[in-house]
Amino acid sequence: MNQSSAFARSFSCKVAALLSALAVLQIGAAGANPPQGLLEVLHRHTLLTSTVTDNGDLNPYAIVVAPVSAGRIKADDVLVDNFNNVSNLQGTGTTIIDYSPATKKTTLFAKLPQNVAGCPGGVGLSTAMIMLKSGWIVVGSTPSTDGTTRTKGDGCLFVLDPNGNVVATWAGPNIVDPWGNMAVADNGTTASLFVSMAGFDVPAPTVKDPATGAAVIVRKATVLRIDLAIPEGKPPTIVRETVIASGLPQQADLDNFLFGPTGVALGPDGTLYVSNAVESSIVKIPDAVTRTTSAGTGTVVTSKGLITDPLSLIMAPNGHLLSTNGLNGQVVEIDPVAGKQIYAQWLDVDQAQTPPGNGDLFGIAIKPDGTGLYYVEDDTNFLAEATP
Amino acid sequence: MSLTRGRLLGAAGALGTAALARGAAAAVPSATSPSASNLSEPFYGRHQAGILTPQQSHTYFAAFDLTAAKRSDLIAMLQTWTDAAARLTAGLPVQPAGGGSYDAKKIVLDSGEATDLPAARLTLTFGFGPGVFVKDGTDRYGLAAKRPAAFVDLPRFNGDQMIEGKTGGDLSVQACADDPQVAFHAIRQLARLADGVAQLRWVQAGFRSAETGETPRNLMGFKDGTQTVSNPDHFVWAADGPRWMRGGSYLVARRIRIALEHWDRMNVAFQEQTIGRQKVSGAPLGMTHEFDQLPLAATDKDGNSIIPDTAHVRVANASTNDGAQILRRGYSYNDGVSFVAERWPPWRQGMEYDAGLLFVCYQSDPRTAFIPMFDKMSKIDMLNQFATHTGGGMFACPGGISQGEYVGQDLFA
Repeated sequence: MNQSSAFARSFSCKVAALLSALAVLQIGAAGANPPQGLLEVLHRHTLLTSTVTDNGDLNPYAIVVAPVSAGRIKADDVLVDNFNNVSNLQGTGTTIIDYSPATKKTTLFAKLPQNVAGCPGGVGLSTAMIMLKSGWIVVGSTPSTDGTTRTKGDGCLFVLDPNGNVVATWAGPNIVDPWGNMAVADNGTTASLFVSMAGFDVPAPTVKDPATGAAVIVRKATVLRIDLAIPEGKPPTIVRETVIASGLPQQADLDNFLFGPTGVALGPDGTLYVSNAVESSIVKIPDAVTRTTSAGTGTVVTSKGLITDPLSLIMAPNGHLLSTNGLNGQVVEIDPVAGKQIYAQWLDVDQAQTPPGNGDLFGIAIKPDGTGLYYVEDDTNFLAEATP
Repeated sequence: MSLTRGRLLGAAGALGTAALARGAAAAVPSATSPSASNLSEPFYGRHQAGILTPQQSHTYFAAFDLTAAKRSDLIAMLQTWTDAAARLTAGLPVQPAGGGSYDAKKIVLDSGEATDLPAARLTLTFGFGPGVFVKDGTDRYGLAAKRPAAFVDLPRFNGDQMIEGKTGGDLSVQACADDPQVAFHAIRQLARLADGVAQLRWVQAGFRSAETGETPRNLMGFKDGTQTVSNPDHFVWAADGPRWMRGGSYLVARRIRIALEHWDRMNVAFQEQTIGRQKVSGAPLGMTHEFDQLPLAATDKDGNSIIPDTAHVRVANASTNDGAQILRRGYSYNDGVSFVAERWPPWRQGMEYDAGLLFVCYQSDPRTAFIPMFDKMSKIDMLNQFATHTGGGMFACPGGISQGEYVGQDLFA
């Protein structure tokens, strides 16, 4: 699975060529003025590693940069999970790879069984993944058996030790389908996880709303805060579960599996930002770390415009939000305080999808030095980086 | 070679039979006006036919599992297959109908659907799979030590989605002919003759069609086969290794499903970028004629390659593969429709064509040819967004034989 430098160069050329061809689609091109944000200075795209594992798993979703060295993981390693198994069916992937930027080697970090006791619907690893400072990894499952919500079972959260072994499984009425990228407030011996939960009573994608002709929208999705205690040398345990947002829309999709609240990002003031894929908006939940009640659907920060089916959401070092689009290959940079979409930049311009890059992006992460991005390419099943 | 009476008599005589053609009504074609389907290809020779033989229009490729417990049973079957193959490729039935009709009370050793049909340039090319040497850790036939070093197991390649029932096999028989019924008939007879010794594991029919002198087009609408191997003695025929493989070649078959529905939604410019050639003319991008050299070093004003760095023709070209070449002998296939979940966004599901390419290639050493070539291609070829390998295998095809010998005889010496 290791990537040759020649390959990386050729990929950069391809992206450069296609970006040039698509220049007309570029929005907010950089000029002579000082940069308005992070994205406009990122011009070099390099494929780092295939995420396809020996068992054929593919469709990379979550990206986690290791905050510490623990077990087989070195600090700054990049963990990526796969949502599909070799059948190509969504909600069936069971593997996590570990890419080392230091050695440029990729290893299989974890391979879970297709079914694990305590996880009702089986295993289909989602974008909900985090590594705690204590070395434990928490990863979500949003499972199906036919790649659609028709067979979607209830998922769970797995706790893995830093050697890739499952040490605990969390399920229950609040933990239905951990879906988008997690945020965390990690104090070492305690931590709070913020997880978008979609999939509540979502039917098969063939169940249509007669009023719209589209799959029915079910407004039951939530954002869950999970407060953890992490005893020294022992796996974390759940101290408290608090639904901090609720009534969010969710919708089945034959091709995209599920639309719902997806990415979550925690601001420095404790505000949680949530991407609402059904309505192409970003909403905010105040006092997310401390609140004891649901804020409902939150307050809209910004919607539509450049945002189209927003998926992962992260906070950049400059305080801006970065949101990957599901329906094209762009990432959108947003000033959350001003509620302003600054611009969108193409990360993936693959014309094999329409519009280019449609469905190719999902997980995204800031590089440890803050100078660039890691992102996944679901069309080619690669982890890539964008750098200046 | 044309199927003349003299040649046919020679072949028939060697088999000790008086039959001249399939069925009593089969006429010997006129030597003065042979059509392509009236020609036959020699069965005996230094190399097996069906490798360098000018490619026929149809194939029926079969892989078998060996069920024989004894080496002697395997040898006996190969002797039977050899006799049958010599007859079939000469346009003869496995068992002639004496006096123009069969004994109505007997079961006949030829199913008869090729009766009245000419040889149609039928070739039958035999190969040995890994299971001939060792199967499940057992050296069933005392041949483990005979396995060539070059005959390594194919690794799993990036993106492989191999179906167990369409992969592997202990023996392979590639039947090629200018008539699909002749090709199928040949495999059908061999499978029947193998009863109790070998059984069919998977088969794949294929076709290719073009005007005379034109390069055939694949199902993606592009000319396929413009580039050919330059030096068969070096790139195709095994020169090193055990004696039984001298003059032989290593065959790699891959059943490649192509997402035709997905491909058909792409604009022509993107299709051409993906392949690296122009769709109508077959010329390399930036060039005019089909057989123009690939301008691999050519760039546009921004320094980007005219033929993209991930275009299929570039990543498959010898100059980007340490000079490695393979002899490609593939066919399109079309197995109707089946439910499929595509392996690319937007993860389309539904009934789609189970159609694409039965890729077949021959080489002198797969360790320096198909394996490194496809290892790279499986990761960076733009075509990977449309093609999925779902089956196939690798087989060691021994050198050719002379009359009186049987296929693979030197392996058992």
